[in-house]
Order: sequence, then C-alpha cells, then structure tokens
Amino acid sequence: MQMELHDLCMAYPDGKQALQHLNLSLKAPSLTGLLGPNGAGKSTLMKLLVAALLPTGGSILVDGQPLAKSERLLKASLGYLPQDFGLFDELTVTQFLDYMAALKGLRNPKKAIQEAVQAVRLEEKSKSKIRTLSGGQRQRVGIAQALLGNPPLLILDEPTVGLDPEERIHFRNLFSRTAQERLVLLSTHIIEDVQSVCDQLVVINHGKVLFTGTPEQLIQTAVGHVGVFWERNSVQEQGSVREQDSVWEQGLHITARVNTSQGIRCRAVADKLPAYAKAEEPSLEDAYLYLISKEAAQ
Amino acid sequence: MKTLCLFFLELRRLLQSRLAWLAAGLTVLSPAMGLFLYKPASASTMLSMYLANPAIAGGVAGGILFGLLTVFAFDRPARNRVDTLMDAVVSPLCMALIRLLALIAGALLVIGLTMLVWLPVSRWLTGTVFGAADYVLAYLLLMGLALPLGVLAAAAAYQFIRRADLSLAVFAAFAALSLTVWADNWQLCWLNPCVWALSDDFSNFRIFRSVGYMRLTWLAALSGVWTLSWLCVRQYGKGLLGSLLRSARRAYRPAIAFVLLACAGTAYAAQPFVDHSNLDEMAMSFYEIPYAEDVVCTGRTAQVFPDVNAGTVSGRASYQFQNSSGEEQVVAFGVTPGYVISDVQANGADVPFSVSDYQEYNEAMLEVAIPAEEQVELTMHYAGFPQENRMMSAMQGGAEISAEYLCLENAALSPRLMNVMPDEHRYPTTLEITLPASMTVIPFGSSDAQAVAEHEDGTKTWRYESNSTGGILYAGTYIREDIAVDGFTVAFYYGRKHQAVMEAAGAAEAVKSVVEYCTKHYGRLSFGSADKLKLIQSRVSGGGYAADGASLLDEADFTAENLSNADKGAGAGEVMIHELVHQWWGLGNMFDASDPGSAWSAEGLTVYTTYRIVKELYGEDYAQEHYVNQWQQAVDDYYLDFYVRNPDYLAALPEDKQLEITNNLTYVRQYCEMPLKILKAEALVGGEDAMDLILKGLFGREIDPMYPYLTYQEFLDACGLAEEDLNLV
Repeated sequence: MQMELHDLCMAYPDGKQALQHLNLSLKAPSLTGLLGPNGAGKSTLMKLLVAALLPTGGSILVDGQPLAKSERLLKASLGYLPQDFGLFDELTVTQFLDYMAALKGLRNPKKAIQEAVQAVRLEEKSKSKIRTLSGGQRQRVGIAQALLGNPPLLILDEPTVGLDPEERIHFRNLFSRTAQERLVLLSTHIIEDVQSVCDQLVVINHGKVLFTGTPEQLIQTAVGHVGVFWERNSVQEQGSVREQDSVWEQGLHITARVNTSQGIRCRAVADKLPAYAKAEEPSLEDAYLYLISKEAAQ
Repeated sequence: MKTLCLFFLELRRLLQSRLAWLAAGLTVLSPAMGLFLYKPASASTMLSMYLANPAIAGGVAGGILFGLLTVFAFDRPARNRVDTLMDAVVSPLCMALIRLLALIAGALLVIGLTMLVWLPVSRWLTGTVFGAADYVLAYLLLMGLALPLGVLAAAAAYQFIRRADLSLAVFAAFAALSLTVWADNWQLCWLNPCVWALSDDFSNFRIFRSVGYMRLTWLAALSGVWTLSWLCVRQYGKGLLGSLLRSARRAYRPAIAFVLLACAGTAYAAQPFVDHSNLDEMAMSFYEIPYAEDVVCTGRTAQVFPDVNAGTVSGRASYQFQNSSGEEQVVAFGVTPGYVISDVQANGADVPFSVSDYQEYNEAMLEVAIPAEEQVELTMHYAGFPQENRMMSAMQGGAEISAEYLCLENAALSPRLMNVMPDEHRYPTTLEITLPASMTVIPFGSSDAQAVAEHEDGTKTWRYESNSTGGILYAGTYIREDIAVDGFTVAFYYGRKHQAVMEAAGAAEAVKSVVEYCTKHYGRLSFGSADKLKLIQSRVSGGGYAADGASLLDEADFTAENLSNADKGAGAGEVMIHELVHQWWGLGNMFDASDPGSAWSAEGLTVYTTYRIVKELYGEDYAQEHYVNQWQQAVDDYYLDFYVRNPDYLAALPEDKQLEITNNLTYVRQYCEMPLKILKAEALVGGEDAMDLILKGLFGREIDPMYPYLTYQEFLDACGLAEEDLNLV
C-alpha cells in the first residue's frame, strides 16, 4: 500500500487553514510517526487520509489512484483509530468487535476478534459490557477494532492516550510488529511513542511539514544545538533569571530543569549554544523541540 | 454482496436491541386499542369493529412506534460517537440505506407477527363473517404499510436535521397532521386511512384499493423525500448543503428522488377513486339544462359488462330518438366520472361529442349532437373505473364491484339521459348485464331480471326491462326468501354469508309483522307491482332507502352482534321496519323534496310509524326510551344549539362549514323534531286510534297528479290543528 499526498491543503469553513501545501509519500512496510504540537494539523491530516474529510486543495493518491475513486478500496484496507471516538456501551467487547468485523466484511470474524483481543490484552474483559470498562480499556477496544482483520493500512490518532506506561510500551511494540508488513501511521505528540519504533517521522506544525525522514536524521539536525548548564552560571552571565522555558529569547530554549544537590541543572536547545553551556548528544525529543522552536522563531 | 451481508448484520443488530423488541411488542399489542380506545371506523359491522378498527389502530401505533425507533436507530452511532469508526469502514450513505432497509424489514416481520397473533382473536370476534382475504388485506393495508411510512418519514427527518430531539418533534407533527387536520382527507391521512366501514357479508375490494392507492402514493412521496434526505447524509465533514451537493454529483441519485416525488404528485393529482363533483349540495345545474325541442326518447337498451376482478365496467348503450324538429339537436347524458366514452354513433355514423369537466352529484355531462333525422339511433361505448362522489370521499366503498357484490346506480350502469322527454311508453328500457354465474341480479324496483344466457367462461347474462332514464342494479351472492303476507309477497334478499344469522334472528318473521301492521293501519301499497316487494340487504352504506317496489336495508343493522344485543331490543328489525315503512310514507305518499332543509319530509311519518310498531312489538317503555326520549333529547339540544339561536353567525361561516352544520340540523328536524310534533298532534286529536284514522285517510287520499306530494298543511288540516299548536317550545 502506498499513499501519496500532493500539495495537500485543507481550510475549514471558518477560514482556519489546517494544512498548507503538504507533500508526503507513505509506503508499506513502514511505521511512520506523525509528530506535532497540539493544533498542528495531525488529526486533520488523519481524517483526510481516511476520507472523513475532503481536501480543499491538492490530492491524495492511494496506490496511484485518486482517493475519490478508490475510497471503497481504502475503507476495505483500513484500520482506523480516531482521536475522539465512542463505543456502543450496551454491547460486550466481543459483540462490539463482532459488529465491527461484520461491517468490515471479515470472512473469519471469530479468529480476527480473538487475535485482536489478545493483541490488546483484553481477554479477561471480552465478555464484559463496554460501559463497565475503564478509560484505558476502552482505548484498547478502540485499538482492537482498528487491528481487526490485519488491515494493510493502519492509521492511529493518539492511540496511547489514557494508557499506563507499561501498556504504552506494549502497544509501541505491537505497532512495531504490525508495521513489519504494513503501513502504519501513528500520530502522537508523545515523543517516546515514536522514538524507539518508527522508521519514518513526519513533523508538522501550523499545517506545514517541517521534517520528513528517519528519527536518526531528525536527531542529526540537532547535533551541536543541545547543551546543559547550571542555572547559576546563566544568571551570572545574564544578571538575572528570566522565564525561559518556552520563550525563544537570546536563542536559548530550556527543555528541562533538574534540581540537584549542586543546584539547578538545565538542558536547552539553541541555534547557537552560549558559552556557559556544555554541548550534549541530542535525543529525539531535543531534536523535535529544536525543530519546533526554530520554526516558531521564524 | 457486502451490502446484503451488511443488511443482515444491521437487521440482526436491530433484533438484538431491547428498544426494538419493546417497539415490536407494543406494535403487536396495539390493535387492542382499536377495540377499546380508537375506533375510526364508525359502522357497526363486525369487520368494521373487530378488523378495521384494530388494524387501523395498529397502524397508527405501529407507525409512530417505528418512527421513534427509527430516530433512535439512526441517532445511535452519533449518540455513542461510534460514527467516526463506522464511517471509516462503510460509507455513511451505504449505512443509512442499510439501516433503513433493516428497519423496514423489521417492520414487516412485526406485521407478520401481529397478523399471526391477531388471527385467532379476529376470527373469534368476527365469527361467521370472518374472511381470510379481508383479514390479510386489512392488516397489510390498514396497518402494515403505516409502519414503513413511519420509518421513511422519521428517517428522512433525522437525515435532514441530524438531531434526535428535533427529528422527533418534526415526526410527531407530521403524524399529528394525519390524525387531526388531514384525518378526513382520504389522500392525506397517511397514518390513519379513511375507512368508515368494512362489509361483513360482501367484499371490500374497493376500499382496500383506495387505501392501497393512498399508501402507495405516500410510499412514493416519502421514498422521494427520504432519497433527498439521504443525499443530505453528512459526510466528509460537510454540512447539509455541502453533503447534498457532493452526493448529488451522481445524477441518478437526485433523479430517483425526483422521479419518486413526481410519481407521488401524479398519483395524488390523478387519483381514480373520487370525482370532482361540485361540493354544493344545492347545485342543480344538470337539472336546469333545457330539454331538446321536439325530440322524444322511444326506447333504450344497454349491454353492461362489469369486470369483477378489475372493478371496472364496460358497456354499450343504445338510445332511440324521434326527432321531429327537423333540426340537429343536442342531447345530454349524465356519465359517471371515471368512465371514458370511446365512440358515439348516430344511425351508424360517428358524431362529435364532448364530456364536461364540470361534475355534479357524481356525474359529468356528455353532450351529443344528433342529426336532423326523424328516427335516430344513438349508440355509444363506455368503459372505466367508476369514481365515487367527492362529498363522500371519506366514506368510500360504495362503488364495490367484485364477484361477490356490485351496485351500479344510474349513470354507472349506462349513460343517463338528461334532457329528452319520453314518449307515451316512458323510456322503455331493456338492460342486459353479464356477471359470474354465482351472482344474482336484482334490479332495484319492480322489474325482475331473468338469466338469458350462460357462457363458457362461467358467466351468465341477465336481462330485465324497466322504464327509466337511469336505474339501480344490485347483484351479489344473495339468498332469496319469499315471504307471503295476505296475498302480498316480500322477496327478501340477503347475503349468503349472513344466512345463518338471519335465520337465527327470525328476520323473515319481522318482515311479515311489519307488512301486516302497515297494511292493516294504512292500507295496501298502491305503487308498482302491488303484490310484490323486494327487500334487499345492501353492502354497508350508512342507511337504507326505498323506491318503486323495493326497499334497501343496510347490512350494518343485521350484524350478529346487533341482532343479539338485548339492550337494543330488536334494533335490526327496527331499521327493517323503518325502511319498509317508507314504502307507505315516502313512496305510497310522496313528499316534496324541493326544499331539502324542510322539517316535513318522508322521515317524520316514517319515524313516527316505526315508533308505533316498535311500541306494539316491544312495549311502551322500550319505545319511550329508545324513541321519544331520544327525540326529546336531540330536540332540546337543537334548540340550545348556538347557530340555531344565532343564525347570523352561521351565515358568516365558510360555505362548506355552513352546509355541514345545516345538514346536521336538518337531520334533527326531520328525524326527531317532526316525529315529536306528530306525537303531540296524536295527543291533541285524541290518541293513537284517532291518529291512525287520520293517517289512513291521508295515505288513501286522492292524489293530484300535478302535485302528488303530501304537505304539512294537509297533515295539519287533517288533524284540525294549526302550525303553532305543534310548537314544542
């Protein structure tokens, strides 16, 4: 499965420009992480990819065919977990998945349901009414319905929201395994979710693509732009302590402040590191923040 | 294939829904409302009470319940926010269609279940008049089709509005329209069809056809509206208009909607059941057309071929004229709306003709120019589906034509000559009608029909002769019983289905006693064949009437329940008495009907005489309670009526409303006020014997052929009273 986005634009009726001239190519097998701050346009892009919205400009090609002509093929190949969704509370987990499997037209729904339930670790709750499930368990039912039938295209919008850390690790690994044969697009603003498993990253902000490439390539862009320093040194240098956490002033963006016995140790990204900062090896989060903060400064 | 799988999936899901089971359960039980609470069919036949009313009530309740269920089912994914998941898998348009089909399939299953549950109940309640065809058609048409209509209407409302609360409000308003404002409009009352009666003893195809037509018209209309709403199903994050424009890109979709709406509109406008007669009951246009000068009708014949399967009639009519004017003359005929005149020939040559768009009293006017020849034979072919009078559109069924029953009146039998005088033989008429061999033909009047030919297709041709420009003919699966009274024979015809009930009720005995009473008190009938009277049980029609040598009885008064109702005494017999008495007061002595609002009519003396006979048969208390007290109550109410006390306000009302009120008030004056006055006269002249003598004198008086009517003044003069002596206030 291959999806190509050409000059994709999306403006809402209220005038809000959600996406601007996006060009992307997504090809299986791949686990592509879609990163961006809240309101960057991730969910809009996801909705466009599942034909829940129609673009106001540009085109989406599915295996070379315009999405408008291959919508039925897309729906037959798609597993989709939206950011905001509900479930039929009066049904049990199995009944709900059975209904979704039937909607998808799966030939062997029992097996598919069993696999999906196992994959999301809901075996014990499979006979429970959905209304009795916790928030995390409902999220897992949502993931399970997306996984039903092993669709060749899996689009997951914030799939790990509401999951505890252990579950998040489990699902990261699950998505990674799933992506060995398929195209998985994972939208998140949690860097950890994509750090270890995605082979491709797309970073968008304000409706524009800021980066496409591998995580390593993204990290590479931040080499020499990440440093650590003691806060007292910066105070001495600047004469005062200022609010710097989220403000790109003097080219420095503090990403972490850690209280230690020797004082406050800061980690920051900057286009040009100050003299009192000691250069550090960047992490994916550093690189992402560097990219976002640089775009904000521009 | 996937669509079919989705349909069964959605149906299965629906059948697992508790709400659906609740709606289904209530729908199955809802015909019970028709037995106790909601009884739109007012006739007292068993099928009206125990089949039509339950079926209509079931349709109303089922339609509303399935409408509510539809809104719930359509709103369910959005309410649970599952629509985003479902839309990603199946197109919202496809899902909306599947959901609709599943709901309609569910409705059909419920109808089937309801029919199964109510079959033994209906059979038990209706007794010997139960018929499988009536049962199936009643439940399918009166109840069944209301459910899909409710589903379509509610689904359309939801798809347009996409809010459950507003959709429910719109659907409720639509249902309320049918139950209130549109309740008397047979084409608009989509939920509660205008069915006032079902016949026990004869068939009901005409009313079923009418209801079926109304249902199909609405089915097309609501399918069209639903298809339009379907195009508005929100998709791609767009609103109503955006979704509509997007969905309408495939041209066949809006085309289907418009074709359906056009079909519905055409079906509504071109309905074949009801004519366009002038609603003014006083209209007399056709009676005011001038007679053709120096033209007389010397005879007429007609061969009539009813199609008892299609409910249509075709025929050939022939009229012989003597035209001594030496000029071309225009001859006018009354033609039943719905009939098409295919050709008219005068002495073998085609002549031009026209049929008026204007209709009056269920007739259109056919005008033909006959040539300036001395002897003219005019022949014409006609055929069609006879329409009923618009004024009776909420009480259809009278034009029933089936293998069990038919009634063809005047122009429905053959075009009725309007403006040509008779010769000395008074329109000698020979009429032939071909019908299934199981049917008995009964001309309404003194004529007798004879079977003159049997055909290989199982039909018989009957012939009879009469003297009239029109005539009424009944035919059906009748039993004939001849009752001899003092050398006078009453030929009593009643439906084969009703034989057991009639025999058990001793109807023949009742007939005998009435004829005996009237002959003894007033004298023998002077009209027609003096030694014979036909008493014909008609299909339910809301009342009986009498004509020369024949009297009609409504089957509704002879139901098993009526005949066995101890509270009513011999209620059925009383109607029989009433109609029979019209042979004396109504025919034996005619009453001037030129003023239909007059209190003095054939009914006053007929009702009074009926009371006297009932008093003799069942005792004074019974007669007082069921006659005098009821007249008094009605008259008291009449004098208190707002419009009687304030006639200026009546004049300010719309014409149709005025007519309705006037007709109701006239009914009270004729059927209640006048009998009370006669009763007061009875007291003033010295009692019953004295009044009997007076009436005997009036009945046997010498009749002035120029004005053969018995007037109120003659009655007062015979009693030696003045008009004010009989004032009741």
